[in-house]
Amino acid sequence: MIQEIRVVNLQGDPVGHGCLHDVRHTLGFTSVTGVKTVKVFRLEGVSKDQATELAEKLLAEAITQSYWVGPVQPMNGARVMEVAYKPGVMNPEAASILKAASDLGITDLVAADTSREFHFFGTPTDEELAVIRDRLLVNKTVQRVIDQVPTTLIIQGKPGSSAVISLRTMSDDELLGLSKDKLFLNLEEMHIVQQHFCSIDRDPTDVELETIAQTWSEHCGHKTFNAKLMVDGKEKEPLITRLKKASRELHEAKGVISAFHDNAGVIRFYDGFGVSGKVETHNSPSAIEPYGGAATGSGGVFRDIMGTGQGMKNILSTDMFCFAPPDLPASELPPGCLHPNYLFRRVVAGVRDYGNRMGIPTANGSVHFHKDFRAKPTIIVGAYGIAPEEFCQKGEPQPGDLIFAVGGRTGRDGIHGATFSSGEMTATTITINSQAVQIGNAVEEKRTADALLAARDEHLIVAITDCGAGGFSSAIGEMGAKTGVWVALHRAPLKYPGLAPYEIQISESQERMIAAVRPENSERFRQICKLYNVEATILGEFTSTQRFLAEYEGEVVCDLSMEFLHHGLPQRTMIATKPPYRFMHAPLPRPGVGRAWVQVYQEVLSHGRICSKEPIVRQYDHGVQGTNALPPYGGVGQDAPNDAVILTPILGKSYGLVVSHGMNPVLMRRAPYNGALWAVAEAMANLVAVGGDPDTAVIVNNYIWPFPDEQSLWTLDSAVEGVVMAMRMYGVPVISGKDSLSSTYRFPDGTKLEIPPVLCISAFGKIPDVTKTVSSDFKREGSAIILVGKIYENAMGGSVFEELYDRSQHQRMSPMVDQNRELKYIWQVLHRHIVRGDILACHDVSEGGVAVTLAEMCFGGRIGATFDIGRLGSERPDLLFFTEMAGCFLVEVSEKVLREKKLFKDIPHTIVGHTLREFAINLSDYGGKLVSIDLEILRQAWQQPMKEVFGS
Amino acid sequence: MKKPQVCILRTDGTNCDEESSRAFTKAGGECTSAHVNELRNGSHELSGYQILVIPGGFSYGDDIVSGKILAVELLSFLRDQLSEFVDRGNLIIGICNGFQVLVRTGLLPFRELGTMSATLTDNDSGSFHCRWIELALRASPCVFTSGMEGKEVMFQMAHGEGKFFAGDDVLSKLEEKRLVPIRYVDNPNGSLNNIAGVCDPTGRIFGLMPHPERFVEVYQHPNWRRISNLKPQGLPIFQNGVNFAAQNLM
Repeated sequence: MIQEIRVVNLQGDPVGHGCLHDVRHTLGFTSVTGVKTVKVFRLEGVSKDQATELAEKLLAEAITQSYWVGPVQPMNGARVMEVAYKPGVMNPEAASILKAASDLGITDLVAADTSREFHFFGTPTDEELAVIRDRLLVNKTVQRVIDQVPTTLIIQGKPGSSAVISLRTMSDDELLGLSKDKLFLNLEEMHIVQQHFCSIDRDPTDVELETIAQTWSEHCGHKTFNAKLMVDGKEKEPLITRLKKASRELHEAKGVISAFHDNAGVIRFYDGFGVSGKVETHNSPSAIEPYGGAATGSGGVFRDIMGTGQGMKNILSTDMFCFAPPDLPASELPPGCLHPNYLFRRVVAGVRDYGNRMGIPTANGSVHFHKDFRAKPTIIVGAYGIAPEEFCQKGEPQPGDLIFAVGGRTGRDGIHGATFSSGEMTATTITINSQAVQIGNAVEEKRTADALLAARDEHLIVAITDCGAGGFSSAIGEMGAKTGVWVALHRAPLKYPGLAPYEIQISESQERMIAAVRPENSERFRQICKLYNVEATILGEFTSTQRFLAEYEGEVVCDLSMEFLHHGLPQRTMIATKPPYRFMHAPLPRPGVGRAWVQVYQEVLSHGRICSKEPIVRQYDHGVQGTNALPPYGGVGQDAPNDAVILTPILGKSYGLVVSHGMNPVLMRRAPYNGALWAVAEAMANLVAVGGDPDTAVIVNNYIWPFPDEQSLWTLDSAVEGVVMAMRMYGVPVISGKDSLSSTYRFPDGTKLEIPPVLCISAFGKIPDVTKTVSSDFKREGSAIILVGKIYENAMGGSVFEELYDRSQHQRMSPMVDQNRELKYIWQVLHRHIVRGDILACHDVSEGGVAVTLAEMCFGGRIGATFDIGRLGSERPDLLFFTEMAGCFLVEVSEKVLREKKLFKDIPHTIVGHTLREFAINLSDYGGKLVSIDLEILRQAWQQPMKEVFGS
Repeated sequence: MKKPQVCILRTDGTNCDEESSRAFTKAGGECTSAHVNELRNGSHELSGYQILVIPGGFSYGDDIVSGKILAVELLSFLRDQLSEFVDRGNLIIGICNGFQVLVRTGLLPFRELGTMSATLTDNDSGSFHCRWIELALRASPCVFTSGMEGKEVMFQMAHGEGKFFAGDDVLSKLEEKRLVPIRYVDNPNGSLNNIAGVCDPTGRIFGLMPHPERFVEVYQHPNWRRISNLKPQGLPIFQNGVNFAAQNLM
């Protein structure tokens, strides 16, 4: 018997209010005049009296709410739609209701669920309600409209069984049919699997096939990065080998503790601590269920930090997104894709809810917009961690160590996530692969993290890793690659009955970790987990058999040699061919004279790539943990962006960690090698601008690329060459990274849309004293403004200025950052001046050029500036003002310091203006006045776009 | 001399415990973290402490409404221990989620365990909001803000359910008895009477939405580079608690 309790707010209804705003503004349906919501609780197993007691004590608060036990009550003819999660999508609230009911002594409650009724006032048509349902309220992947009261909330299911697949006799067509939408292996790989089983004279089980497919997936196996390449006919080392080689040369000098072989890269910090960084993508899940996809992307990268060494504490979350513009006409949306406005807001909500609940500050990030992300967004999430150095090396399980599954339960969610995300997206992806997405439960992960850190501190953890892509099959398979493992799959705690053994083996249910624990420590390990309300189960143990042995209820369902699993896939040879590039020096239109500059300035500042992203950051708890020593937005009105975040992860100690990033997909598409140098220079300049030391920095590189056909592989190779070059020039090693090679969308007619390639470079380093760092806001009037570094006018390719004022598709040259070591020296000199306190404010030049740098510094100080572009020497002051040369800076220096000290004497620099009391920018061209621009107008142009998207 | 003992209460989803602990340690207290399960199973007792801290976070995910599940748990299992703790005159501070828990147990504002007279509900914006805001401290019996009356400070707010709401009778009583030690200068969430925090009539139980524990070092302020002679404005709140405990409760 199910009791229904309905709760209404008497004081305001923010959900209803927000829905009304979206209906009227986003959808433009003026027929809807009001929306009211009702929260619905369904409780199974309790009497009406018990339901009333639960309503009184738990579910409704008399001060602001009223409730009734019973069915929906119509409201003045309003149309009702009740939205709930689908059965099987775990609603985190249900577990909390069960816990609290038990705390109140009501133990008859066996299941609970929650949902929300939307009551629409006015005269919406059926068609309009259907659009509201599909565009705003219901993502069919995880949600549904309830039109019939369910008879039970308990998910039933018979325990599944394992099947033997007659692989050995299959034809090529049959092999491909088996692989399609499931294993995602190509025919050559299927042949290798077939031959293996022929050679051992038996057919595989489904568990074995799935385990192999997961391990060999592009997502887990990085086949392209490990492949031998033929680039324009010449053989080259695998991409990963080149990255590792260039990195290794720098490890000792940079205090690298661990690079490439653990879940995150780790460097030496202060006082015996190590800090780590990891950056991941979650593009495919986010494309079909943005809230859950982004949330579990964050959850996954946090688990990477929890699973580094013997376990590290998360201290920072970062997020870098690429979407199509939020105002993309619906007609331009490819079939099966969600609208970017919806995607964008739901992705932000997902990152917000996971990071905030975990208590990890999300304090560095960016958003990039380009129309060609309309088929699939790029969702990048990063995490940084800290641990005493003794816990920073990856552990090695020994035979006899127990395999503990810790944290969340295993369900059918996330099946085939690893293989699915390695494939192309098509119009049917959203329906066929919907089970690959889940919504996540941050508090489950938080208590798991708390328990594991407590266990680590008692030295109970030998080795640890997270269950991410591939689930148990990958986590346990990798941990036991050198020893062998024995696993009893039926021991895994399940969310609901009915999973087949192969589903348990490869499920990607969130919030699960695998720990190796010595048998003598298992009791203490269990006790700690219990104290933190965390489930810990011994699944099996590490062996000395070198086999992956799994059984289910006494039956062997998997018996694979680790050798075949991890080394059975021969190294690929892949061909890369240079795509046609045609660069030309086509002139760009001039903005005109006088007031025309104001128009251009406003348009550049309100471009999606440049405009203020403050409404996003405000939704993130970027100050939790009390570690923030330089916030994402600062200055007089707390609305001026800083270039990087600075944290003091050990409270009370003034040493710090600085984290920044650089990313520009448009430049990657124009010229991948130069684009890669730009991205590294941008990440480093951001780090240096706030006071980070370029000589202690390390970087993490993430490649989000189209499916690697010959031309895409050539651009990928070129980007890696750029990163390798940057490592050598700037002395900054890559210590971690990831590739995701599925940024391709295939239309139903077979044509392809290649999503722009994204290289995201994240940089981090240590700072001995955070009180010797600097922010971007101008501090006072009368200071000198100096451009440090060099900018060039003939590098407008890929710039926002070009995008706005020339749609001729001319391939102009994009910025070429310094190809010798001059930049590194500029950074070192600037860094010394910042540490000495000579610099009042510093901000790097990036997208939008010096124009944007200058405006943002003015916004922060609420003061103005004079700026003489002519001092930079050019026929085209407009181009110099808006060119996007990475690695340069505008700095504020007091007249006194300028007079008394010889700043920047051996590096390129130009005094370009000074700060003004008046809130205006006075532009001139070698003394000749161009225009005076009211900064308030510019600030509004810069802030308006995201205010519109986020309704603030 | 022994330092005042501070108990930092933790549970699933607590996440401002370390900075709260740091703030009280810097103020001269000795802090111990205790999981609510340890208090429930008797392996840990409140009797050894003078100060109880319920820190910020998302206890049990803030499911149903913020702080509700933990409040139900405290009322179900720790009612007697809590009664005894406050009857002995000890101090309790709840920050952000801790404040939400305290109003839902009834300890705030009127020290009536099991009777809710005020609540913290969704911000008017409907959204989580994080920024540094100005706050005005006013005369009240609150132990933690003693000596700060008349001052303005800046703390960071970081919450989605921070709108203080109560009936007219409760509001008048709060004003009459001067139980509002701290108010927003520019109301960020729709709180009635700009209330950012309240204390009980003895002044020994205090709850507030903004985070003073995030401002115990100068460089935690977002604009410390712009302001000379800046002092960490959150620290006095913790020092007041520790000093009061040292003088009156030990």
